Amino acid sequence: MTVEPTLEKSAPSLGRAVVARLRGVHKTYGPVRVLDLPELDLYAGQVVGVVGENGAGKSTLMGTLAGSVRRDGGEIEIDGQELVAGSTAESARLGVSLVSQEFPLVGQLSVAENLLLGRRPADSRRRVVVDRGAQRRAAEAMLAAIGLDPATIPVRRAVRELPVPARQLIEIAKGWGREPKLLILDEPTSSLGPVEARLVLDLARRAADQGGAVLFIGHRLDEVREIADRVIVLRNGRLVADLTPEEATEDRLIREMVGNEVAHSEPKNAPASAPTLLEITDLTADGLGPVDLTVREGEILGIAGLMGSGRSRLIHTIAGAQPSTGGSMTLAGKTYAPKNAEQGVAAGIAMIPEDRKQQSLVLFAPIRDNVTVSVLRRISSRGVLGPRRLRAEAVKITDNVKVRMQSVDQPIGSLSGGNQQRAIFGRAFAAEPRLLLLDEPTRGVDVGSKAQIYELIDRAAESGMAVVAASSELEELLWICHRIAVMHRGRVAAVIERADATKENIMTAAATGVAQSRTELNGNPT
Amino acid sequence: MSAPTLTPADAPAAAPSAGSNLLRKLAATPEAGVVLACLVAFIGFSIAAPTYYSTDNLQVMGRDLAEFGILAIGESFVILTGGIDLSVGGLAGFAGILAGWFNVNEGLPGPVAIVLTLAVCAAIGLWHGTMVNKLNVPPFVITLVTFTICKGLALSVTSGTPITGMSNIFGDLSLYYVGPVPVPALIFLVVAVATWFALERTYVGRQIYAVGGNAEAARLAGIPVKRRVTSTYVVSSTLAGLVGILIIGRLGVADPSVAASGYELTAIAAAVVGGVSLFGGEGRIVGIAAGAILLELITNGLNAVNVSEYYQTVAQGVVLGVAILADRIRAQYFGGSRR
Repeated sequence: MTVEPTLEKSAPSLGRAVVARLRGVHKTYGPVRVLDLPELDLYAGQVVGVVGENGAGKSTLMGTLAGSVRRDGGEIEIDGQELVAGSTAESARLGVSLVSQEFPLVGQLSVAENLLLGRRPADSRRRVVVDRGAQRRAAEAMLAAIGLDPATIPVRRAVRELPVPARQLIEIAKGWGREPKLLILDEPTSSLGPVEARLVLDLARRAADQGGAVLFIGHRLDEVREIADRVIVLRNGRLVADLTPEEATEDRLIREMVGNEVAHSEPKNAPASAPTLLEITDLTADGLGPVDLTVREGEILGIAGLMGSGRSRLIHTIAGAQPSTGGSMTLAGKTYAPKNAEQGVAAGIAMIPEDRKQQSLVLFAPIRDNVTVSVLRRISSRGVLGPRRLRAEAVKITDNVKVRMQSVDQPIGSLSGGNQQRAIFGRAFAAEPRLLLLDEPTRGVDVGSKAQIYELIDRAAESGMAVVAASSELEELLWICHRIAVMHRGRVAAVIERADATKENIMTAAATGVAQSRTELNGNPT
Repeated sequence: MSAPTLTPADAPAAAPSAGSNLLRKLAATPEAGVVLACLVAFIGFSIAAPTYYSTDNLQVMGRDLAEFGILAIGESFVILTGGIDLSVGGLAGFAGILAGWFNVNEGLPGPVAIVLTLAVCAAIGLWHGTMVNKLNVPPFVITLVTFTICKGLALSVTSGTPITGMSNIFGDLSLYYVGPVPVPALIFLVVAVATWFALERTYVGRQIYAVGGNAEAARLAGIPVKRRVTSTYVVSSTLAGLVGILIIGRLGVADPSVAASGYELTAIAAAVVGGVSLFGGEGRIVGIAAGAILLELITNGLNAVNVSEYYQTVAQGVVLGVAILADRIRAQYFGGSRR
């Protein structure tokens, strides 16, 4: 076990009323304790910013409060009333409202019906029959309440016909309309433009001023610092810092989020003489491009960019998993124009997608079957696969990447996230690819395991593989990459050499699409 | 997706204005095509065979339509939640036998036999819903079990011989007319209007759409998802029972072979032709009724122009294929982001 981190607690409570009182709340998934909070109080009138890396326990904390996650133990009181575990209806009844990032909306139903999902408009006296007029009026009032002109979001339209930002605003109006005592906002601005983001920040403030408590989960530290009266930092499911806005400088927050567990060695510089492996010219695809990029053998190229900037699309297009609509690629000097992912694999490309559970693994199947998928043809003699050969190969693959497990026969879903991810790397390595494509290589992996994943990536590059890694975590890219390409609205806004790369110049290029002076402009002459 | 900023300018561009967009709006409505196809089929067959639109033939069509039209409506409830009910044909056959058996072998009066039969069917629907919700049994499997058992029971209870000598009420239900309209057609109309109202205008109905469209959203909004799902199986089974009673009335005997005659597939086909998405959350009664009517128009029309029964089945399959194709093309062109 790691040493219990000392909790720094200096945020003022100032004798305010406690809205939410958490004692000993904990939650375990498999072997991983994802949340462990001995004590946490949320006060009326406060906006509490919550920061932490992916997998730090932010969403579990929100889930236990909102009832979508059943806590394993501990007590939660909302306004003095005990909250029953794992019931969204109970949480809603006690006044907890979650504005989710994942928009749980019903696309087929109208905006008005979504806003009043599961409820009756207050001024409708009909119990069984829907009062559509009242529903529409209530919906328009809810949109107006968060400061939206009803003309921007017609309440009769089906939700699926609306763009993503509109859906996010509907989701916010939904949470707001329940007049919550505890309003939880989960990265509410990540899909919004600046004007709407402003509106949401103002709403959080208003909710607090009206005497509610607000939990603001943020992905942008500056935003959190601006809005919060108090910032708490989660790391590995624990509360490691509880700070006033003055204390919560960006440096301090990053230090608390990351801890000092990651000690990563500088990667060796890629040999400049190494031949170019992948050359991309004017590549376009749905929502992407034109993109020009080159990757050398043994090089780790990072892909940075905000959400929706085309990071994943670029990775998928190179892999052949998304059709390209124009431009060309050459791989090791030969024209490479994959029509599907199968042709990408055949050309020597391995991709590790971002969603392990959905896109990589059969969770209930044994480790041996999961890790050997990429080499089945090679290990089958005359097309017939022997069970002993399969097992031996699986052991070799998992040993190679040091998967911690009891045996290759246990379901891969029983491993921790970090171990699962290492197994996936093992599978990719086993196919002996020339180009390794990574999309969020450490998502849902705890901090300790991250360092091990970075080592694997280094190793791949040292063995001569070219690596393209897309990540939303800037620190990660700064640690592992030789060069970083920054995407903005589907294009490469800048390619920054490792020596020149700072968080600031990456963020600037990502947010504005304009590279700073010292960076090399690439493929985006406008 | 380059996170578009929402501006008021987006709204008018997306919201169709009247007039020039009317055609587009019609094309974007899944039901419009089916209704149009009904008209084309009716006019086409009427020209080819004048007997087609005679009162007699229309009455025959009305009576047939009632049977699988009602089945299609019940089936659609289940499909709306993303499930499927394969038992409706077998259950309809079994319900007919059950009603006849209650009435003849147990000597119960006709109305009592009918009510009892419907109650048994509702209980079977409740069982389906419970298994799907509590034990997470795939709807396909659990209703296949019921289908098989019902088919077998219908034959074994009767030893394969139809039950005869039932009360007049059965025949009255199926063979009487109100004015020129056969009673079953009226029952179909009543069921269609009632279910339309329930689905479009009541909270429970809208919540069924929500459950089918996004079960997680529905759950988070505090909708009793499991109760809603179960209710759709009860509706489906009960309506299947009703159809079984109409069938024995039409035949005059409770014939066990009805259970095996493939009604469930016709019902599913009518729902799909009518624009019900097998993924759930999508489809309206207007479309389902039109889908059932279209299939009936075509089946009967092929009879009227003397196409052999074997080819009729082929034609049904082709209609289903065309309907699905048209729906997919429509969805691609008109932004309906169906999966």
